[in-house]
Amino acid sequence: MELSTVKDAFDRVAKKQKLSTSKSLEVIDQIGHEIEQALSNIQTIQDPAYPVDRKSILKELKTKLNEIGPHKQLEGSQKELNINLMKYLKVLERVFIPDISKAYRNVDFDSHTVNQIIVSHFYREGLFDIADLLIYEAGEPEAISLKSHFMEMHQILEAIKDRDLQPALNWVSSNRAKLKQIGSDLELKLHRLHFVEILQKQSQADALNYARTYLAPFASVHMDEIQKLMGCLLWVGKLDRSPYSELMDPIHWEKASEEITGQFCSFLAQSYESPLNVAVTAGVEGLPTLLKLAIVMAAKKPEWQAMKQLPIPVELRKEFQFHSIFVCPVSRDQGNDENPPMLLPCGHVLCKQSIHKLSKSNTRIFKCPYCPFEASVAQCRQLHF
Amino acid sequence: MDVEMHPNGNSPTATNLAAALPTATPTATAPSSKLSQLAESLKLEHQFLRVPFEHYKKTIRANHRIVEKEVSAVISGVSDAADGDMSQDEAVQHLSSIVSRLQGLKRKLEEGTRTEHLQAQKCRARLDHLESVEVENLSEWNNMRLKRILVDYMLRMSYYDTAMKLAESSNIQDLVDVDVFHEAKKVIDALQNKEVAPALAWCADNKSRLKKSKSKFEFQLRLQEFIEFVRAENNMRAITYARKYLAPWGATHLKELQRVMATLAFRSNTECATYKVLFEPKQWDFLVDQFKQEFCKLYGMTLEPLLNIYLQAGLSALKTPLCYEDDCTKEDPLSQESFRKLAQPLPFSKQHHSKLVCYITKEALEEMASKNNGKIICPRTSLVCNYSDVVKAYIS
Repeated sequence: MELSTVKDAFDRVAKKQKLSTSKSLEVIDQIGHEIEQALSNIQTIQDPAYPVDRKSILKELKTKLNEIGPHKQLEGSQKELNINLMKYLKVLERVFIPDISKAYRNVDFDSHTVNQIIVSHFYREGLFDIADLLIYEAGEPEAISLKSHFMEMHQILEAIKDRDLQPALNWVSSNRAKLKQIGSDLELKLHRLHFVEILQKQSQADALNYARTYLAPFASVHMDEIQKLMGCLLWVGKLDRSPYSELMDPIHWEKASEEITGQFCSFLAQSYESPLNVAVTAGVEGLPTLLKLAIVMAAKKPEWQAMKQLPIPVELRKEFQFHSIFVCPVSRDQGNDENPPMLLPCGHVLCKQSIHKLSKSNTRIFKCPYCPFEASVAQCRQLHF
Repeated sequence: MDVEMHPNGNSPTATNLAAALPTATPTATAPSSKLSQLAESLKLEHQFLRVPFEHYKKTIRANHRIVEKEVSAVISGVSDAADGDMSQDEAVQHLSSIVSRLQGLKRKLEEGTRTEHLQAQKCRARLDHLESVEVENLSEWNNMRLKRILVDYMLRMSYYDTAMKLAESSNIQDLVDVDVFHEAKKVIDALQNKEVAPALAWCADNKSRLKKSKSKFEFQLRLQEFIEFVRAENNMRAITYARKYLAPWGATHLKELQRVMATLAFRSNTECATYKVLFEPKQWDFLVDQFKQEFCKLYGMTLEPLLNIYLQAGLSALKTPLCYEDDCTKEDPLSQESFRKLAQPLPFSKQHHSKLVCYITKEALEEMASKNNGKIICPRTSLVCNYSDVVKAYIS
């Protein structure tokens, strides 16, 4: 990225602009000075009976102003500025991609849907005022449906930031059955955080009391964990010097927040990450490739607008990989239910149709294209990802 | 040996194992590839630098025009005095008024310079912002980019209050173009109220550039004004108006001009389709759209909102037939109806190589084995087998 070139070009513009302004001021001052001089000359004429004098002063002023040539001066500095303004635009065009809409498909991009996606995004980010304002300005009253849920989530998260676990515990206890079903130990984690807080700030008796009431019920399933926590009781007030000091790491609070967010969203049938963020970030990563493609295909614009599949792969980072995709190394076809990936006895994998061809319609033993191993169709097994 | 894992076996144990949040896929990428990707994505930011610069340029030009005009007026004022015959008092008064005019110009110039300076700062702030991105602050920077993209979308959709509030609350006023769109808002509001005056003033303001791009927006505005005279049955005025404002466009846009002139014969209640449409209220919406396009072109913006451009690219890159299956993960935006709707007219992505996403990580498998006496349970089918029986499959 040649950002420094861009910066230099901009500095030149700013410099010329300053020069041009000071030139303008200078010209104005020059003119002003001459006029004021003429004015005082006129005022000092003693004898009004000699109009020639007045006239000659004015004539002289006119000639002087002509000599200054204000327009020429102004034009000169402005011209230099203009050249640099144009140069800067050229640099921008060279360093950046001037039109990123070249790969845009001219389809109806339903703004109601987009607005609703944005509103949900704001709710999820906790920007409730902004979401409500957008609902009002864009007229999307139905987009409000997720608000109360995300409000609850943000109240829980805000409270955790203030080291208040009560709202989180309330939520956990009202969702206990669902959490248990997926085997989450979130409740124990929250109580553990609370317990460690008490150990640091309150008495041993308080901690013991808390453990009896809230930790005991977990003893049957999480014996190890409970034993460790009981061990902490010996270090009340000096936990930081104990073998358990790791429990005081604030990261546990962050992790608890993350886990609650994850569970909360999953119970709402929502993703952990904002889907708008995911889609836009994928777009930023994919767009350069698509723009290159659009340039290559510029002559075939109608085809570009109509094609059902992109002609080239757009590589995205791993975090955007949501599905396992099998592409047969022989036929380059993408695996699907009709043409699934098959595992050969040697461990290599081909799609079913490729095996069908290699074995001459399943009639013969064939050699694996990647190693000397021979196999029959019956030995190949379907793979499931 | 058993490697078969059957799909669609979403038993409770399956979710249990996948509960490790947020996602099981590792996100580590080599820093160098991340950097080159970053450089690629920065190249998309043309509009980000261009718009404030166009604004800056416009102010510079306008300020310069004022100086030139005033200086000319002063010079010709002096000429008048020199060539005419003024009394002493008259001459003194005349020159004094020129001096105060010059002082006024100086004040104006200083004010203009302040505006120029602020706009130059904005251009700089954006350059600095682009420069500030590093691998370490990438997620924060990306967050800000999303906000910028959203503000751009809202400004184009005329959701000004939301746009301003988002910009303020995120403290990114220098990174978004609220002030530029302020200029557009005036014109758009007026057009929605069926007033053309601000739009015409805008055309006059940007005359040379509109002419360069062969814009016919002004002509379209004039046509609409003409139509309004015909609608009001003010035919004489319509004709005078046409002579003055439409005739100059005859050389280049004769057909449209003729069509509109014919409405004098057909009147506003005509049932003749060719002319009926000219009287429809949606013509005003068309003018608003037209204005937005001209406006975007002038400032070097894309004609579509950035959000739409990025969303289209992203959804196309993410779109696979697998997104539409019942067990599509919720983390995939295309598992949601709203995103599916947007992606519907877009092409599917293309894959040249197999890509596998581990349902649970390898470590998770080993851990499970060590806890269960070397046995592992298939997360999809609950089939139990020995870890040592698992075989590798070679997939290229």
